[in-house]
Amino acid sequence: MTPDRTSPPSTTRYGAMLRRYLAPQWRAATALALLLLTSIGLQLLVPQILRRFIDTASAGARGDAVTAAALVADPVWWATGGLIGLALAFLAVALATQVLSAGATYVGAAVGWTATNFLRQDLARHCLALDLGFHKSRTAGEMIERIDGDVTALSDFFSQFSVRVIGGLLLLLGILTVLWIENVFIGLALTLFTVVEIAVLARTREVAVHATQLEREANAKLFGFIEERLAGIEDVRANGGGAHAMHRFLRPVRTFFFDTRRAWVRRSIVWLSTYGLFVLGSLVTLGTSIHLVTIGAITVGTGYMVFQYLLMLQAPIEQITQQMQQLQRAGASIGRVDELFATRSTLATVAGRALPSGPLEVRFEGVRFGYADADPEAAPILDGVDFRLAPGRVLGLLGRTGSGKTTLTRLLFRFYDPSEGVVSIAGVATVDAELGALRACVGMVTQDVQLFQASVRQNLSFFDGTLDDARLLEVLEDVGLGDWFAALPDGLDTHIRAGGGNLSAGEAQLLALARVFLKDPGLVILDEPSSRLDPVTERHLERCVERLLHGRTAIIIAHRLETVERADEVMVLERGRVVEHGGRARLAADPSSRYARLRAAGRGLAGRGLDTNLKELA
Amino acid sequence: MTTSSPPTPSAQGASAHRGGNPLALVFELARHRPALLALNVSVWIVVHGSPVLLGLFMKGIFDALSGQGAATASAWTFLALVLSVDMARIGALALGVWVWSSYWAELVSMMRRNLLGYLLTAPGSRRLPDSPSEAISRFRDDVNDIGEYIEHLVDVWGFGLFAVIALAVMFRVDPLMTALICLPLGFTLVFSNLLRPHIRRVRREMREATGRVTDFLGETFNAVQAVQGAGREEAVLAEFERLNVTRRRAALRDSLLAELFKSLNDNMVHVATGVILLLGAGAMGRGTFTVGDFALFVTFLPRLTSTISFMGALMVQHKRTGVAFDRLSDLLGDAGPEVVVADVDLSLRAAMPPFVDARPRAEPLERLRVQALRARHADGSLALDDASFELERGSFTVVTGRVGSGKSTLVRALMGLVPHEGGEIWWNDVLVDDPAAWFVPPRSAYTSQVPRLFSDTLRENVTMGSPGGDAALAAAIRLAVLERDIDVLHGGLDTEVGSRGVRLSGGQVQRSAAARMFMRDAELLVFDDLSSALDVDTERRLWDGLWASRRERIVTCLVVSHRRAALERADRVIVMAGGRIAAAGTLEEVVAESVEMAELWGDTGAEEAEVGGDVGYRVLR
Repeated sequence: MTPDRTSPPSTTRYGAMLRRYLAPQWRAATALALLLLTSIGLQLLVPQILRRFIDTASAGARGDAVTAAALVADPVWWATGGLIGLALAFLAVALATQVLSAGATYVGAAVGWTATNFLRQDLARHCLALDLGFHKSRTAGEMIERIDGDVTALSDFFSQFSVRVIGGLLLLLGILTVLWIENVFIGLALTLFTVVEIAVLARTREVAVHATQLEREANAKLFGFIEERLAGIEDVRANGGGAHAMHRFLRPVRTFFFDTRRAWVRRSIVWLSTYGLFVLGSLVTLGTSIHLVTIGAITVGTGYMVFQYLLMLQAPIEQITQQMQQLQRAGASIGRVDELFATRSTLATVAGRALPSGPLEVRFEGVRFGYADADPEAAPILDGVDFRLAPGRVLGLLGRTGSGKTTLTRLLFRFYDPSEGVVSIAGVATVDAELGALRACVGMVTQDVQLFQASVRQNLSFFDGTLDDARLLEVLEDVGLGDWFAALPDGLDTHIRAGGGNLSAGEAQLLALARVFLKDPGLVILDEPSSRLDPVTERHLERCVERLLHGRTAIIIAHRLETVERADEVMVLERGRVVEHGGRARLAADPSSRYARLRAAGRGLAGRGLDTNLKELA
Repeated sequence: MTTSSPPTPSAQGASAHRGGNPLALVFELARHRPALLALNVSVWIVVHGSPVLLGLFMKGIFDALSGQGAATASAWTFLALVLSVDMARIGALALGVWVWSSYWAELVSMMRRNLLGYLLTAPGSRRLPDSPSEAISRFRDDVNDIGEYIEHLVDVWGFGLFAVIALAVMFRVDPLMTALICLPLGFTLVFSNLLRPHIRRVRREMREATGRVTDFLGETFNAVQAVQGAGREEAVLAEFERLNVTRRRAALRDSLLAELFKSLNDNMVHVATGVILLLGAGAMGRGTFTVGDFALFVTFLPRLTSTISFMGALMVQHKRTGVAFDRLSDLLGDAGPEVVVADVDLSLRAAMPPFVDARPRAEPLERLRVQALRARHADGSLALDDASFELERGSFTVVTGRVGSGKSTLVRALMGLVPHEGGEIWWNDVLVDDPAAWFVPPRSAYTSQVPRLFSDTLRENVTMGSPGGDAALAAAIRLAVLERDIDVLHGGLDTEVGSRGVRLSGGQVQRSAAARMFMRDAELLVFDDLSSALDVDTERRLWDGLWASRRERIVTCLVVSHRRAALERADRVIVMAGGRIAAAGTLEEVVAESVEMAELWGDTGAEEAEVGGDVGYRVLR
């Protein structure tokens, strides 16, 4: 389940990520590239204008005392690029650069959001396909952090990164080219400096990835802790556990504090060393310029222009290093995203076989099963289970807590695969069936109803927009939620609040039953759905269940002996083995059967329940 | 909160706009570790202020090169000065990262601690404004926003110092030019003010859209088994996509506005540079403006711009912080944002302090009297009206009724888990002002309908900091009928129960919660429908054990149930119907007097008798 220790992602991973998520947006990406290139070209012009300005102004200062007004009136002056003209040219170019780079940033953000939304979608899809073994050990808060938090950290990588780093690199190249043309000496000095800088950057880049990964994990744990406490706020408060929870909170807070600080410091190493290098570079460049101006090889204007280009270099280098920091975060996020993607479901998927409709046959052949994370010494949960349930028959499953009843039904959904043996539905082994088709033909009703903060329609149809309202209303009416529905302010569009706030447990249970009716499966598993309901609602639910069972194969997990009464067959599980299986009537008539003895015990001992009796029989 | 005027849900909704002044709230935070804060401010003043020296030394270099102005030293000397300023700045930055990360991580942790601490321990009823996952987006993003605001407030001194000195130097060189440069910069500030309300609105929309995304993810993964079992992965993903698209739109509006802000600042600087060029053209001709002066102006300008951008960002952040404080006080419910900024010691560096349980000793419960209790659902509809009853010491009272009759609301309103808006609660002779603060151990303990466990060991979940030792733990586990489960779990009491207790079965979670309640050693035990995950037999054994234990220690029980096992034990049964008490009395009395109860009891009898025959149960009618 857990992949090997993640190493920092390689450069090819960044490339692969960019290709996968940016390629579909090539139009926007092209627009972005155009915007960037034009704005870079314009930016390169600015120091040239300044040089001409300074050299022209200096020439003016040396003698020709003409007023600006006289110059403006002189068409020859305009043509030769006078000072005012240069000033205006500067303004025009600078403003155009602004508009273009603002546009680039916006387009970059749009591209980034689209790309990361795709990634969120892919990750959510992947995680939803993982088996229960994965989900059991993770809090919802942690999943939020890993699917949304990590990907949001990546959004900078997708948008800002492309704009600032690629744009910055192009600007860098442009500046160096101009400098080479101007003066080989200066060009050489600055190029050497840039090369050294990039070499150093490449080395320090990985310095913070691991620390940043730990930082994100600390974040996930911190918010996981908070989310759980908030979900259980009533349990904590009414049992006076607040102070204690706050004391426990110090642990994730400590981890958060130290891991965050370490990550920040590690990341600062990268940009501090870049800054140090830049100081070195400016020393070299300014020194060269001072020397060249002193010997008269270049003008002061050119010296100033070189200085201006040097300042311009600072921006892309600062941006690149700053984005390197983002890249490191992104690197850590990609590491974690990859780790998620690398987590494979233990259920090998094949292009599976379809299943027929109508009541389905269920067959277990020599099925053994133990949870992967369990103690290898421990006895398996299911230990050689063999039985066949004919289509349309109802099986009552009896057994003490921990005898393997729930696990047995989970295998039918293929939440897990058996370690040995074959589970088959309608003659198709679960491992050979198409997973979607398999789950589509098995329905389950448990005590635990999961609702979403969404409309009644979405909750009922489980977000299936293709079901028509008439069908939904019909089913609501069928399960006896007609009155409840009539009282809803916005009908099917009524919003169900957090945690099913505006629904009672019984209504929620009936809603869950309605879901199964809509699904219309050929095999139904009931895990004592009625036990939390009051007798009136319970009786009503039982009637609905009766209808649900009609024309379907069913397995009923019984917590009470009376639940089994409606079954055609009874099966008793003990320590993962079938110890009795047969027609209910036949077993009831055979006084030596466990079932008959359970019934007898139930009659003889008032107030004694199924579990106790099962224990005594065992 | 008082019993006579509790906040109604609508009043809670109206509290959305009481965030207060973000600046004043943030100054409250400065009381936490003032020395570290002072160090931060000093270090960042050096970092942001030192560029003023860089500008002056650059001017020196170009004046020396062009032979203009009063060259005070050679270009090489100025170059050496530039180098030393840069080196000092690198040192300050390295120190700055260390001290700022220490300060920031501590402050955001403190705010989160304050929030969680208030939600979990403060008096009054708590109702989260939305789901727990949505609350997480407030814990995460809104607190981070406040942290970012503080970062700006630490930086503002260095930026300010730079701006003041730079402008003074420029003014000495050319007052008119400096004044004209200031005009566009001032215009930027005015225009920024006009954009403010939009920033606030757009930011809020984006936050809400983000909240819906995280919320939906949380719900999906809480319900992952149901989603997979129903084979609805793709449909759920489609909904997720829709929410993501909405958020993308909101985020882009947000970033567009931010970009508008930024361009505004940058453009004004270019206009200002244009002004220098236009005016400098003449001044250079007259020789009053040197190449070095030009270098100085042009070096300072981008820094001045970033100062203006910074001020703009500070204003944006000021606004965002206002939104953040609003949302945080909304999360807190009845408290203002000052709770968030309270100064507490997180003891981050010392050894982990031991947990001290500081609960008071309870006055033994002689009689609990409830009069005319009334409560509403979160949507404002009446859930409970005119409920009056009494509990005697050592009594066993069962609240029953059909689904939606208000039986759960009755005990939840009593315990202050939902606010009540009318009525009185008397504990012996004390009028209970704040039930939520009153009904806690050792006075009372509670098991909810769907109890939550936390990612920790089973032992930790049951003891939850209770001072009782191993003997008390063993007794609580026995009472909760959990002994055998612990033998079966391969880690025993030290088994990690997983997120929300998912590694346990529903019944095990419920019984662990019951053990947690028994562990509190409380006078009054409140069970909100244990039957939801317990089979009849286990529930019966639980009542048997509890019954037997009352010989050693008298407890009063208030039980929501519809099961015979509980009803048969009841000294008194309260029958709820339509949010009111329909009948109360002994089981025989209520069955005889109340049609509702007769119907409920009859059904139970019929159904259970069908199986158990006529031997199993007392026939009461």
